[in-house]
This record gives sequence, C-alpha cells and structure tokens, in this order.
Amino acid sequence: MNELFNLAPLILVFPIIGVLFNGLVGRRFVDHDRKTGERWSGWFATIMALSAFVVVVLLNLALHANHFHAETVMLWDWIVIPGQGLSIPWAMQIDTLSVAMMLVVTGVGSIIHIYSIGYMHGDPDYSRYFAYLNLFLFFMLILVAGNNYLVLFVGWEGVGLCSYLLIGFWHERLAKDGTMKNANAARKAMIANRVGDAAMILGIILTFWVFGSVEFNHVFEEAIHIFESHEEMVTLVSTNIEMAFSTALFAITVLFLIAATGKSAQLVLHVWLPDAMAGPTPASSLIHAATMVTSGIYLIVRSNVLYELSRALSVHSGTISSSDIVALVGASTALYAGLIAFTQYDIKKVLAYSTVSQLGFMIAAAGMGAYVAAMFHLITHAFFKALLFMGAGSVIHGMEHGHHEVAHGHHGHDDDGFDPQDMRYMGGLRKLMPVTFWTYLVGALALAGIFPFAGFWSKDEILAHANANQGEYGLFLVLFILLALAAVCTAFYMGRQLRMVFWGQPRHEAARHAHESSPIMTFPLVLLAVFGTVAGLFNLPKVLTLEFGWSLTLEHWLEHSIQTFELMEEGILAHVPHTPTSLIVEVAALSLGLALVSMGLAFYVYRDKPKTAADPDPTQKIPGLWSVFGRLPIDSFYMKLLVPWFNRFSAWLGFKFEWSFWHDFFHERVIRDTFVWFADLSANVLDAQGVDGIVNGLGSVTRWLADGIRVSQTGYARTYALSVFLGTVVLLIYFLWPYVMR
Amino acid sequence: MTATIDWYVALSAILFTIGALGVLLRRSAIIVFMCIELMLNSANLLFVAFARSLGDLHGQVLVFFVIVVAAAEVAVGLALIVTIFRTKRSINIDEINLLKG
Amino acid sequence: MESEFNGLLTLLTFFPLVGVLILLLWRGVSDTQIKWTAIITSAVTLVISVVVLASFRAGDPGLQMVDRAAWIPSWGISYYMGIDGISILMVLLTTIISLLAIISSWSAIETQVKQYYIFMLLLQVGMMGVFLAQDMFLFYVFWEFTLIPMYFLIGIWGGGRRVYAAIKFFLYTMAGSLLMLLAILYMGLQTDPITFAIPDLVAQRATFAGVQNLLFIGFFVAFAIKVPIFPFHSWLPDAHTEAPTAGSVILAGILLKMGTYGLIRFNLPLFPQASADFAPYIAVLAIIGIIYGAIVAFAQQDVKKLVAYSSISHLGFVVLGIFSLTAAGVQGGILQGFNHGISSGALFFIVGILYEQRHTREMKEYGGIWKVMPVFSVLTLIIVLSSMGLPGLNGFVGEFTILLGSMGAATFAPAWIYTAFAVTGVILAAVYLLWMFQRVFLGPVTVEANNKLRDINTRDLFVMCVFLLFVFWVGIAPSGFFNLMDTSVTTLLADMNVPELAQRVATFALLGQ
Repeated sequence: MNELFNLAPLILVFPIIGVLFNGLVGRRFVDHDRKTGERWSGWFATIMALSAFVVVVLLNLALHANHFHAETVMLWDWIVIPGQGLSIPWAMQIDTLSVAMMLVVTGVGSIIHIYSIGYMHGDPDYSRYFAYLNLFLFFMLILVAGNNYLVLFVGWEGVGLCSYLLIGFWHERLAKDGTMKNANAARKAMIANRVGDAAMILGIILTFWVFGSVEFNHVFEEAIHIFESHEEMVTLVSTNIEMAFSTALFAITVLFLIAATGKSAQLVLHVWLPDAMAGPTPASSLIHAATMVTSGIYLIVRSNVLYELSRALSVHSGTISSSDIVALVGASTALYAGLIAFTQYDIKKVLAYSTVSQLGFMIAAAGMGAYVAAMFHLITHAFFKALLFMGAGSVIHGMEHGHHEVAHGHHGHDDDGFDPQDMRYMGGLRKLMPVTFWTYLVGALALAGIFPFAGFWSKDEILAHANANQGEYGLFLVLFILLALAAVCTAFYMGRQLRMVFWGQPRHEAARHAHESSPIMTFPLVLLAVFGTVAGLFNLPKVLTLEFGWSLTLEHWLEHSIQTFELMEEGILAHVPHTPTSLIVEVAALSLGLALVSMGLAFYVYRDKPKTAADPDPTQKIPGLWSVFGRLPIDSFYMKLLVPWFNRFSAWLGFKFEWSFWHDFFHERVIRDTFVWFADLSANVLDAQGVDGIVNGLGSVTRWLADGIRVSQTGYARTYALSVFLGTVVLLIYFLWPYVMR
Repeated sequence: MTATIDWYVALSAILFTIGALGVLLRRSAIIVFMCIELMLNSANLLFVAFARSLGDLHGQVLVFFVIVVAAAEVAVGLALIVTIFRTKRSINIDEINLLKG
Repeated sequence: MESEFNGLLTLLTFFPLVGVLILLLWRGVSDTQIKWTAIITSAVTLVISVVVLASFRAGDPGLQMVDRAAWIPSWGISYYMGIDGISILMVLLTTIISLLAIISSWSAIETQVKQYYIFMLLLQVGMMGVFLAQDMFLFYVFWEFTLIPMYFLIGIWGGGRRVYAAIKFFLYTMAGSLLMLLAILYMGLQTDPITFAIPDLVAQRATFAGVQNLLFIGFFVAFAIKVPIFPFHSWLPDAHTEAPTAGSVILAGILLKMGTYGLIRFNLPLFPQASADFAPYIAVLAIIGIIYGAIVAFAQQDVKKLVAYSSISHLGFVVLGIFSLTAAGVQGGILQGFNHGISSGALFFIVGILYEQRHTREMKEYGGIWKVMPVFSVLTLIIVLSSMGLPGLNGFVGEFTILLGSMGAATFAPAWIYTAFAVTGVILAAVYLLWMFQRVFLGPVTVEANNKLRDINTRDLFVMCVFLLFVFWVGIAPSGFFNLMDTSVTTLLADMNVPELAQRVATFALLGQ
C-alpha cells in the first residue's frame, strides 16, 4: 500500500479544523474588525477546502501508483456488537470512484468558497456561513469516502443537516404573508430528505441481514457469490429465517432508490429542492446543484452490482427490475421538472428545476446501467451548474446593487414587489455584466447540450446508451423518448432564460443600473467556464473510429471500481447494457439538432416578450403547461392536502384523543371520578348507613335493655344486701334440694 | 346437759339472723356495719365449734383469717363512713343512692 | 447461602446518605453551603461509580462485586447487591444525571433549599439501589422508595398543578407496582428453600413456569407504567411538565429507565416463554407509542410537554429493541435508554434555562432566540439533532441497532412490517423536533421580552458540555459501550432457551413473493 493513502484522514481533518475555527473564534475576528476578520474567516475556510483538495490530488497519485487498486483506510471501530456478528468500522475506501467524487467535491467546493468570500461580504453571520460550508465539505467527504453503507449514511444525513442549516441561513427572513420562508424551506428539505433516509436505514438493515455486513466489498462479493450459486433462497445471518434472494435484492435496491429520490430530488420527493433556493446562492450552487444532490447517483453507482444483479434476475424471471424502476423514475423526473422550469420566473428556480431534471438524467443513466455516463454527467453538470448558479448569484448581486442605487437616487423610493431574482425585472444585462454574461452563456450552452461544450458529451452518452440498448430492453425506447424530450425542454427554458436576462431591454430601473460583480466573484466564474467548456474531454468517445490517447479516460478510470465491468468480463453477468464507446453520429446529430432548434425557438418566442414586467409569458398559450405544471401538482398535493391533513390529525390526536379523551375523560372522569364516586358511596352511604347503622343499632338495643334493667338499681345498699341474701338463699335451696328430696 | 354441737349451730344461726336482719332493716350505717360484724362472728363461732367437735385445726386457723379480714374491713368501712359523713352530714344509708342506675 | 462482601456497591448506593446526614446535622448552614455539600456528595458518588466501572470485567456474564448477607433469613430475603453488563450503563447514567441535575438546580430552587437537596440525594440512593439490587424484595423496597422523594420534589417545587401531578404520579406507579409485588411474593413462595434472590429464581424458573403468563403480566404492567408504554403513559405529561427542571431531568433520564431495565432484568430471564409469546404484541404497543408519541408531540404548544411526549416516542424504540429478543435489539435498547437519558435530560435542562428567564413554556412566547442567545441555540441544535437520531451523534447508534434487531426478530411476523412502521418514527422525530426548534429559535424576535434574554452562563455551559461529551462519545465511538454489555446480554438471550428463538424457522415474505 502506498504511503500516501495514510493521508486520507486529512481530507476530513482539514474541513473540521475550518469548522472549529469559524465556529468558535471566527465571529470574534469578524466582530472585532470587519475587514480583516472577513479575510481571516473566509480565507481560512477556503484554505482548508483547498488543502483537502490537495490531499485528494495526492490520493489520486497514490491510486495511480497502486495500479488503481482500491485501498481501505481503517480509522476505528464504530458499532460493534459481537453477539450479533455486527461490526461496522469508521473506514475510508479510496478507489477511483470515491476519488472522482472527492475531486469534484473539493475542487468545485474550493472555487465556491472563493466566490463566497465576495458574495457574503458584509453579512452579519459571515463566519457562521463559512463554518457551515466547511461542515458540508466534511460530511460530503465522509459520504463519498466511507467504505460501508452506514458511514455513507453518516455523510448522507450530515449533508442533509448542512443543507438544512444553509437553506435556513437567513432564517429570520419572512415571506410576504409573514411565514418564515427560509426556515420553512429548510425544514421542508430536512423532512423530505428524512423520508428517503428512513428508507435508506431499512435498506442498510436489510443489507446486513442478507449479506452479513454493510461493507461495500463484502456485500458485493457475497451478492455475486449467491448469484453465481443460483440459490433462490438466502438465509439471513445467524438466523434460520429464509428469504428469496430476488426479493431481498429487489427490496434493498428499491429502498436505496427511495433514499436517492430524497437526496437527489427525484419524483416524488423532489419538492424540497426548488424551495431550497432560499439559501445563499453559493450554497445553492455547491449543495443544491453540484455536489450534495448527486449523492443519490453516487449511491446507485456505488451499488451497481446490486442493481445489475437485480436486472439479471428479472430478465430471467420476466418481471420489472429495480434498475428499470430507477431509470423510469429518473427519466420521468427529467421531463416533469423540465416542463415545470418553463413556468418559473425566479432565475434560481429555473435553475433548480433544471437541476432536478438533470439529476433525473443521471439517475436514468444509472438505472439503464450506464454508470460511467451517469458519473460523467454528474461531473460535467457539477461544473456548469455551479457556474450557472454562481452566475445567477452574480446577476442577483448586480440587480440588488442596481436597485440599491436607484432607491438611493430617488431618496428612499422603494417600489414594492421588486424581486432581484425575478427574471421579469431583468433584461439587457449582456452589456452591463459582460463577464457574467459570457460565462453564463457557456454554462447555458453546456446545459442545453450544445457542441462542443461539456454537457453535450455527457448527455449524448446517456442518450446513445438508451438508443443502443433499446433492442434488447424494450423499456429503453420509452426512456430514450422521455430523455430526448427532456433535453428539448432543457434547451428551450435555457434559451428563454438567456433571452429574458441578458438580451432585450431592461424591464426595471434596477436592471438599468446593474453592474458587474467584483473580481473575486467573476474569477471563479471564468475558472468554471473553462471547465464547463472542456470537461467533455474527460470521457471523449471515439469519434468516427478515431481514437485519441485520452478518449474514454473516465471510463478507464472508473472501471476499476465499478464491478459491473469486471462481472461482464468474467462472464458472470451475460446481459448488461453496453454503452457505445464511439460517438453515434445519428444520436448526436439528433440531440444537437433538437437542442439548437429548441433554443432557437425560445429566442424567437421571447424575442420581444415580455415587454414589461407585467406582461404574460408567451408559453401560457400552450394548453395544460401552466395550468398543470405551473401549479406544481405534487407540491400542491403535499402542501395543500398532506400537510394540512397531518396538522389536523396531529391536533385531533394531541388535543381531542390524547388530552380530552385519554387524559381528561378516561383518567379523570372514568377512573378518578369512579373512584371518587365509590369513595363517596362508601363514606356517605355504605359507611353512614350501613356500618354506622349497625353500630348505632346495637347501641340503641343495649340502651333500651338497660332502661328496663336500671329500675332494679336503686342505689340503696340495703337493696343490694337483700339481693345478695336472697341469692344466697336461692343457691342454698339449689344445692340442698337433692338432700331435702332424698 | 352437755352443750352439743347443735347448740352452737343454733346460737350461730340466731346471731346470723339478727345480723342479717340488722343489715337489711337498720338505717344507720354504723349499726349496719356492726351487724355485718355480727354475721362474721356467727360464722366464726360455727367454725370454732365444728373444729372442736371434729378435732380439725383448719377451722380454727380459718377464724384467724376471718378476724383479719374483718379488721381490715372495719378500717376501710369506717373510713368510708367518715368520708361520707363529711360530705353528706349524715350516715343514713337511705340517703345514699349514688349507684342508682 | 454464603455471605460475600465486597462493599463497593454498598458504598456507591448509600454514599449520598453521608451528604444527607451532613445537611441534617449542620446547624445554620447557608444555601450556598447546602448546594456545595450536595454537589460534592454527588460528585464523589460519580467517582465511586467510575471506580466500579474500572473494576468491572466486561467479559464476565455473571454478577460482579457482589455484596450478600442475610436480611430476613426465615423468608429467604437477603441484602444482595451486584452489577453486570445490563446494569452498568444504568449505574453510570444515574450518577452522571444526578450530578448534573443537582448542579442545574443551583439557581432554579429558591425555597426550602435544604429539603430539596436532601430529597435529591435520597432519590439518588433509591435509583442506584434499583439498578444494583439482586434480591427481588430488596429491589421492590428501592423501587417504591424512589417514589417518595420524587413525590415531594414534584409536589413542593413543581409548577402550577404540582400537587395534582405529584399525586397522579405516585398513585399511578404505585398501582402498577402492587401487581409486581404479588408476582414477587408468589414466585418467592414457590421456591424451596424459599428465596427472593434473582439468580436463584432464574435457576428455578421451572417451578412457576405454569403461571408465567400471569406473572409476566404482573411485572410487565409495573414496568410498562414506569417506561411508560402506550397506553399507560397518562401520568407522564403531567409529571414531566409540573416537575422542577432537575426533577424532569431525573424523571426522563433515570426513572423511566428503571422500567426498561426491569423488563430486561426480570421479564426476559424469568419468563422466557411468555416473553417470546408476548413479544409481538408488546412490539405493536411500542410501535404505536413511537408514532403516537411523535404525532402528539407535534401538536403541543408547550415546549416541556413536547419533550415529554417525545420521551414516549423514544422509549417506544427502547421497548421494541428489548422485545426483538436479538442481541442487537436488546443492546441497542439499553444504549438507547442511556442516550435518551442524555438527550432528553439535556432537552429538559434547555427548557429549564429558558423557563428560568421567561417563566413561560409556551412556544408562541418565544421565537428568534438564535439572534439573542447564539451559543445556547447552537448547543440546543446539537441536542435536538441527537434526539432526532442524526448519525454521528448518540441517538442514531441506538435507533439503528434497535431497528436492526427488530428486522431480525424471530417472533415478529413479519419483522419487516414492524420495522417499516417503527422507522417512520425517524421521520416524525424530524417533523416535531424541527418544528419546535423553528418556533422557539428561528425567525425574527417577536416578543419584546425575549430581547433581554441572557445567553447561557458558565455553570449551565458546563452542564451542557457534559451532555454533549456523551452525545459525541456514544455517537462516534460506541463500541466500548456495547462491549460492556455484550457478554451479559448474549448470555441472557442464550439462557432464555426458547424454541422459537433458537430454531428460527420462518420465511421472510415480502410483497407476496
């Protein structure tokens, strides 16, 4: 084992030092001297993130030196119950998959840290923000570095916590109706995630009982072993309980899918992500676009063996496999969210729905067995979506400054209803914010899948995969159509956004006075724009049988940790969907053509509309789009039906049943009052009339008798003497009688 | 004429009857008291007489007991009478009926 | 019966009486001196318990450090104290929570200070005795003894309806205990020679196996009321809400654990067949408790009541773990008992800090506390997360092992349905705890009086840090805790020797496949 692997724990140590610094003393620095304090607070956190990045790069080198063999770094025992055969360590698994994730997390993370230094300038809770950001890195790295499901779960919930904290960062902000907008959004995110997390707990527990361990390698080996031995039933560890293997696999993988729908905002648990945009924009960019939300994809890619075995078993039995369900969920989410994005005015919400949609692409790819393509899209998406969010942040910043300037110039003129995030108030920002514009354009084109930007390559790989395997798997045709439509949607709403924000005339004074953000914010944009342009090189397919030295780099890199490849080579898995290794020109042309047409159409439709902020959106003419998707059907179901119902049920249970009935009626009325009634009966009826009656009755009888007898008591000594005398006489007669009679 | 046991018995009976009648009929507490003594002594007489005639000393011993009890009785009884006299200014037992029920 | 005397456990149990004696004899003692006497006494007891821990041999399944002497020989009653893996954590919990409760009363108790601390110390004696007594008669004496100081603590230093709550608490628990007393007497009289020592009774359990269902119920009702298991919980919201802060801390932290401890100490080893037979039904009650407690907690307007109902939910997990009758479940149950003592104790303490300043527990009276008391709020958040079962903190370790045990429970049919229902408690915990946190701590300050709140003081900070120490310790490195009890629990389960558990023949069916 290469000695560099021993550095692995440092990726966790650095962020936690950052958390401690900013959590314990950062605030004092900032409060003491704003300017220097901010510099210390922000840069300390950033340097910790960068240090973690450097360590990850070293780990990368270590992997190279180790011929890409995974290494496990044991830290210490966590949950160990010898009596149950349960032993879960704190251990890190350094393999190509986890390092790829770590590079994205620390790389994009560091860039966003730098951006945040500028973005958060002047915020009263500056150091708290950076503490959260470092804490997020810490948990995200635990998530991707864990060597077992439970450590993964620690990171999984930990990033959920950071998401909660960052969405609720400005928790005192209220919505127009007085509700706690940000705090509610934070809570919504945590609870939606918890639904998925509960499923994950079940999945992990089932994994333990079926495979006797929760460590990735052990679980996968055991699963392959059972699969190879063609046993239909498995015995749960240390019991005699039997379970069908296919059922066990299906249950585990579906539970993990539910977990992924929570974290990666898929149908039907996606509702938290758009609301999560209430948080600071860099946080949205890091957590709700680039990294945290992709954990669901990571989970499925990590469990690829289980999903492929499930597919293989169901091909055998002809039933639907969990992988198919994964792919369907992903593809439907991609289209559903893509359609909703048409109806959003908030610049960040459009991006949020596009994130949901793109995550759908990744999930669909993972479900179709295109694990490398899923990871490829994850990585490119991390770059261009982080870029778009930060660009949007820059736009919002610019709008706020513009608004501030206008309000200042008009002496406190404060027009109500103005929202710096609403695209209807923007327009023509191209000239005013050139750096932001150009970088944003790169991001948007990448997202829309325009050649040669990063998104084109990754999205194309997914579509090509769906297309190539539709002969063997009937479902893939459906998926291909759904995903292609989603890609069309993506290009359209990004075209709409570009047109509304950067072209045309400013529709508000604030947009007229907006200006470019500071270099510390634009520098990261440029950096990410570069990646957004060239990230396609990571996994460039062979173009027209031409093979470059670097083509399919990511695939060659990841095949060391995605065991499906190995299983295919060894012939254990006969039916595995293959991703085409060279560019399929027809598919590429189709997707590119559709994207270009769709984007062009968007530019045409929005060429002069809306003219003013109050104008209706042109797409409102499309029947069903705004009336169905614009109303967020699933969100409405939760917020208008489920939540009020739960609140009412809870109030009924808490006040009517528990308090009025069980506490007051049953205990006070039934038990206590019955007792009191009985006591009353005993005291006033039974005792007063029963027991007392007997006693008193005896008394009066005695008295009555005594009244009769007392006459004989004269009190005169003589009388008594006489009675004694007479008594003697009687006794004498009694004793002497026999003698007399004889 | 030898005094046989019958004579003693008769005398004792007469004395006892006098005593008993005195207790029942007289009003003065002192006289009632003396009558009680008379009854006791009639019993003593009978004891001694039978002891003599049966040649058994037990009867004579018993007489000593009776005399002792009588003496004690006199002491207590007289004390009572004196006390009653102090409160009631009379020893007429017809006026003393505190025990009336 | 051979006498043994080690003395350490006797010292541990009765040491607080030294403090009581000093307080009683010390004329003209000032309030500060009273407080310090109580704190030092309790601290020394904690040190003794650490000595006990240090001399505890984890690999030994039997009783250790035994003190045994005849008490009422003609009735086979002995003074019998001992410790094993099942009780060691509870013993530590008792000394830790008692000390923290005594420290936390420093400024909260202003009247009849001397009596208050005397009752606190007496309560500690009683609780410790419950966890250490190995003779059922002795156990019963300690068990009932704890009621007396608690009755006075609630009744004298409690809130508005304190007398009502104190009487309800006393009567409710007393009524349950009587059934247990009957069962104890019956079992004791069945043995020959007559004995009340628990190990002897376990060895002779065949003599009363015929009526074990009745005996089981006798014990179960007593413990179910103490835990409390739904639907025997009605005393809890009253007692918890009306008790003074330290009283609530001890009530939630330790007294409730006496119930779960009793289930493990008595019901499982004495009536193994009945335990296996009743397990699925009790598990249903436990799961109803998990969900019911959580939903009712969500509806509460009073912070303290919310925490009280959350206890019902959490203790549901503990009972579910115990009656899964698996090593993971039972150990998770014991550990979760410990965890609940830490997190709920801390939550009551937190409510106490707020109450001391504002004299209200209504959530609508708060809001935006984070801005005013940032340090306090962060500490509270960690405790809330621990109570929610965030992995890496203590609550998760217990919940996870309990759910794991529940999924492998041979007597639950089918186990996955039980577990799936129980796991909703994890979601609901987030629902009510985050709602509470939001209403009290987040948002803008809405009530003027809250602007004047002072952030946590050094003494309270110390108490919170001790709580947090265990929150993180158990969360990150719980293997030492499991190690303490593993041998005892595994031996106990193996000794149960019930066919259903040994021969687990059941088919795990899911979705009809």
